[in-house]
Amino acid sequence: MAILEIEGKTFEVDGDGFLVNPKEWNEEVAQLFAKQDGTGELTEKHWAVIKNIRSHWEKTDMAPMVRSICQDTGIRLREIYTLFPQGPARGACKIAGLPKPDGCV
Amino acid sequence: MQEDLTERKQKALDFLNSHLNAKLITALNSCVHCGLCGTSCQYYIALKEEKYMPAAKVDLVAGIYRRYHTFAGKVFPKLTGTHELDDETIDKMVDTLFGACTMCGRCVAHCSVGVDIPFVVRTGRMMLQQMGLVPKSIQSTVDAALNTGNNMAISKQDFIDTITWLNDDLQYEVNDDNATIPLNQSGVKMLYTVNPREPKFFPLSISAIAKVFYLAKESWTLSTDYYDITNYAYFVGDEEGARVITERLVNEAIKYGADTIILGECGHGSRAMRWEGPNWMKEKYPVKTITAVELLAQYIRDGRIKPDKTKITDLVTIHDPCNLVRNGGVIEEQRYIVNACCSNFVEMNPNREDNFCCGGGGGQLAMSEYNERRMKIGKIKADQIRATGAKIVVTPCHNCVDQLNSINLEYKLGVTIKTIAEIVADAL
Repeated sequence: MAILEIEGKTFEVDGDGFLVNPKEWNEEVAQLFAKQDGTGELTEKHWAVIKNIRSHWEKTDMAPMVRSICQDTGIRLREIYTLFPQGPARGACKIAGLPKPDGCV
Repeated sequence: MQEDLTERKQKALDFLNSHLNAKLITALNSCVHCGLCGTSCQYYIALKEEKYMPAAKVDLVAGIYRRYHTFAGKVFPKLTGTHELDDETIDKMVDTLFGACTMCGRCVAHCSVGVDIPFVVRTGRMMLQQMGLVPKSIQSTVDAALNTGNNMAISKQDFIDTITWLNDDLQYEVNDDNATIPLNQSGVKMLYTVNPREPKFFPLSISAIAKVFYLAKESWTLSTDYYDITNYAYFVGDEEGARVITERLVNEAIKYGADTIILGECGHGSRAMRWEGPNWMKEKYPVKTITAVELLAQYIRDGRIKPDKTKITDLVTIHDPCNLVRNGGVIEEQRYIVNACCSNFVEMNPNREDNFCCGGGGGQLAMSEYNERRMKIGKIKADQIRATGAKIVVTPCHNCVDQLNSINLEYKLGVTIKTIAEIVADAL
């Protein structure tokens, strides 16, 4: 576990920078994480993805498939990778305050 | 609790005892402390601490062996450089055998006496597994694979929905409204396997291979039950788990009448399935295995696909995944493919069997506990890539892809990382 400090606010994160306590998450946290990992200012499209991931996780305890993110938000697959340079897992899921997904990500 | 720990330590010692065959005893007795391994290891090069030297990792296990299994070690434990299996030794084992080794095997190639160092590290990991001390993050990946059939716990319906969704992309790419990705088809020649990160987060590589298979007129299928080529049980030293994962794919191939399993682009998965699996199953597979890299090279050689190298003019380099290249001997096929698909190719240095690991091997990518070290040792790979001046890095391993993506951002390399299937599909 580590402490991540962004703009004077501190968060407990795992070694990969994922929030340890997902309940700490709110939209302000998302913005700070996005600024910190190089995603930058969050646009309407970013928010559509983040909120989709967050609500799926709150319901099922899992990150959604990238397919369902695309189908639900209408954003094209290739654009997801441009919106989140760190990718859907290390980027979008982290900004949405999820724990790190298992596997090769 | 104390008793429980004593019991678990005994379990680890019993495990070591029952695995002391000629190979292991030789490995544990052969280190001459020459130090050559130090400068071959990314951890030692990047972090410059003696505990990271491969010889020091071997000594942890060898010291326990000497303490409990040799006459001199039992009688004169202090004079013979032994290690008591106590809390201090156990902490060191977790920290360096799990937290500071990618099992890349580069040290073996540089070892003056040829000690199979990752084999010793794996034995140490197995002892830790016996004590229930596998780092949580990697154990949960193993549990997901064993309990759900894939290491990301993707439901069957989610998998089917994703593959069906990809059909649109395939139909557009090959200009055929009837083109589909075959699911659960019997009587095919080949069973294809993927890394669960593909359907979950990065399905473009599945589209790419489907396009290649379509153009090569391959007879193949994916199974919706078992398709996961990864074998994290192998990383954590869980031999029974590793066997179960292996057996599932073999049975799946038999079920669909396939005579060959295509090992998707996954270094450790290919190694586990192709070179380690028959040992766990204690028999020769009734089916053949072939890596996707070898198969794609064969397609090009046979003229089944005809890549147009003028389509890719950016400078391209190859990252050699340790398990496939140094440990598996699949070395020239990826070069043959890249040269057939790209106009400008440059090697990184060192390369082939002497290549450096991406930094994410041996389960490192899955263990957030050691993320900081992973990024530090990844700088060696980042420097190698930068020195080539390449714009595209091709690598036949999804684990390497993810680590290369991480260092690409961390060290601002500005490159694109692609799998072999993706570069081939781009050239078609």
